Amino acid sequence: MTKHNIRTSIGNIFVLLLVFVMLVPVIYMILMSFRTGEEIAADPLGMPSGLFLGNYINTLESMNYFRSVANSVGITLSVTVIVAFVGSLAAYPLARSTNAWGRAFIMLVALGLATPAFVTITPIYVIFRQVGLLDNYVGIILAFTALNLPLAVFFYVGFIGAIPRDLEEAAKLDNCTDFQVFWHVIRPLLGPATATLSLFVMLMVWNDFTYPLLLLTDPDKFTVMISVYRFVGNHNIEPDLLFPAAVLGSLPLLIIFVIFQRRIVSGVTAGAVK
Amino acid sequence: MAELNIRNAIKRYGPVEVIHGIDLDIADGEFCVFVGPSGCGKSTLLRMIAGLEQTSEGQISIAGRDVTHAEPAKRGVAMVFQTYALYPHMTVRQNMSFGLKIGGTEKTEIARKVDEAARILKLGDYMDRKPKALSGGQRQRVAIGRAIVRQPEVFLFDEPLSNLDAELRVEMRVEIARLHNQLGATMIYVTHDQVEAMTMADKIVVLRDGRIEQVGSPVGLYEDPDNLFVAGFIGSPRMNFFAGKVTDMHDAGVTVTLPRLGDVAVPVATDAPLEIGHAVTVGVRPEHFDPSGEITAQLAIDVVENLGGVSYAYSTSQDNAPPVIIEWRGKNRPRQGGTVAVNFDAGCALLFDTASGLRLR
Ligand SMILES: Nc1ncnc2c1ncn2[C@@H]1O[C@H](COP(=O)(O)OP(=O)(O)O)[C@@H](O)[C@H]1O
Ligand SMILES: [Mg+2]
Repeated sequence: MTKHNIRTSIGNIFVLLLVFVMLVPVIYMILMSFRTGEEIAADPLGMPSGLFLGNYINTLESMNYFRSVANSVGITLSVTVIVAFVGSLAAYPLARSTNAWGRAFIMLVALGLATPAFVTITPIYVIFRQVGLLDNYVGIILAFTALNLPLAVFFYVGFIGAIPRDLEEAAKLDNCTDFQVFWHVIRPLLGPATATLSLFVMLMVWNDFTYPLLLLTDPDKFTVMISVYRFVGNHNIEPDLLFPAAVLGSLPLLIIFVIFQRRIVSGVTAGAVK
Repeated sequence: MAELNIRNAIKRYGPVEVIHGIDLDIADGEFCVFVGPSGCGKSTLLRMIAGLEQTSEGQISIAGRDVTHAEPAKRGVAMVFQTYALYPHMTVRQNMSFGLKIGGTEKTEIARKVDEAARILKLGDYMDRKPKALSGGQRQRVAIGRAIVRQPEVFLFDEPLSNLDAELRVEMRVEIARLHNQLGATMIYVTHDQVEAMTMADKIVVLRDGRIEQVGSPVGLYEDPDNLFVAGFIGSPRMNFFAGKVTDMHDAGVTVTLPRLGDVAVPVATDAPLEIGHAVTVGVRPEHFDPSGEITAQLAIDVVENLGGVSYAYSTSQDNAPPVIIEWRGKNRPRQGGTVAVNFDAGCALLFDTASGLRLR
């Protein structure tokens, strides 16, 4: 074995270890979802004795699953699309501005990036109560959009800065207005950035439950994570419902990623600008 | 097709003035080359014409229309960038159609114009490729095609060939010249390469530090430069300069003594009012050294470059001045390390005022 081979082998072992550590909770969750409540209570670390699907049937009946998945999908996709569009549109002039105001504004955006989500929830709640956006799809979408926009702007400013200005000037000579330059030339080149950003935003929105918990009250508007969280009671956990619910709650996101994986990976590696 | 007039154009970046009042007229259908060293303001002036830079003062008009503050797309110009600036996500066809599509031209009309440009530039086989899948020369052609499709009144080129290798550069140079003949359009071409300027231009504009040094035809600038800068910049290898002093005066001119050539006395025709002792510079091009010339001097040769048909002999002096370059053809070429007698005709020598750099005619 050459030195190089030994080094890659050691590297591989570490990667496998890391993957294992990350997957343990997920595997545990999936395994437990097939065991009855009594089995789990008797032996929390045991293997399932068979593919017991009764949990899933019970869970599906008690968690309003399809309605909440539809809510989550709708909210997540809306937020992702709006964040990508508004974020890139805002980032374009910021990335091109050379004066002090532009840079100061970018710092302000970075400040938004550093603000924890639970700090903004109180003012958002108060404002939404005033303007009647509580328990409202538009409200929750707006809140999530505001929460994720700083990340998007920051992200896009870096990417747009790397696009040669020549392209914009060529487009100006090709009769484009400023917005047309953005739409026909800048936006298509942001594919890789948008793919990566969407990943972050979708994960964040799908998995967050503080915002929907506080901003939504109608059970028909609940997102899937709220539905899952309902099985975590104040004093006790119902494992035979919680584990299947957790699996079901992450499943749609997983499916979306599998479908778009090709695009996300190819987008990240494409290197559009050259 | 149109003429272009620039009146007292000034460009400032903040307090820094980089273009200092340019006056220039370019005739309809002319091929005009802006040439000068890097940083002299060629690109800035071109971009002012294109409308990509604001003009701080002065006036620019195209076809008699004042466009000083018009939008780039409203000036009737098309530009070919040094980096090509092709849209990476569009095919060749889309790249060439884009401007017309944005401008609202009809689909069949766009297709007709794009196909016509593709035919002129022999791009037919590449129309559905992305720029990434093209070689440098092909990308350059697409960039030119994109300009042609717009049927501009004035074509602008900013060092379009500087990213190509030497062989391709010669090829594209010929192609652009052919295109100019074919289209008959006004073209402005920026380069720092005086060979490109000499071979392509109808009119050369020599720029230095944001000012025009001289405007003229390639041959005009070569044979009759206005100052030391133009004389040294145009022509390759460059003109030899010999510092000297006026030692005698006569009816038709003055006699100049040149220490570098062993104090040889050279009679130069001039009408300029000079005095004995005036510091002057005499310029002699490498090819003007000729065995039949009446002025003779001895030079020590330290390097000889033999290119086959022609050799260049270099004579370096102790005082850090650029070497004297002598062109030789035919037999009896000098050898490295030897001393040779060089001759030239006094009629070929150009006289300059050393202090101001201006030509003394
Ligand atoms: N955006 C700018 N801000 C300040 N100075 C600039 C800017 N662009 C160009 N310059 C200056 O203007 C001068 C001319 O530049 P340029 O036209 O690019 O030269 P060239 O094309 O002849 O090499 C240079 O000295 C350069 O430093
Ligand atoms: Mg330049």
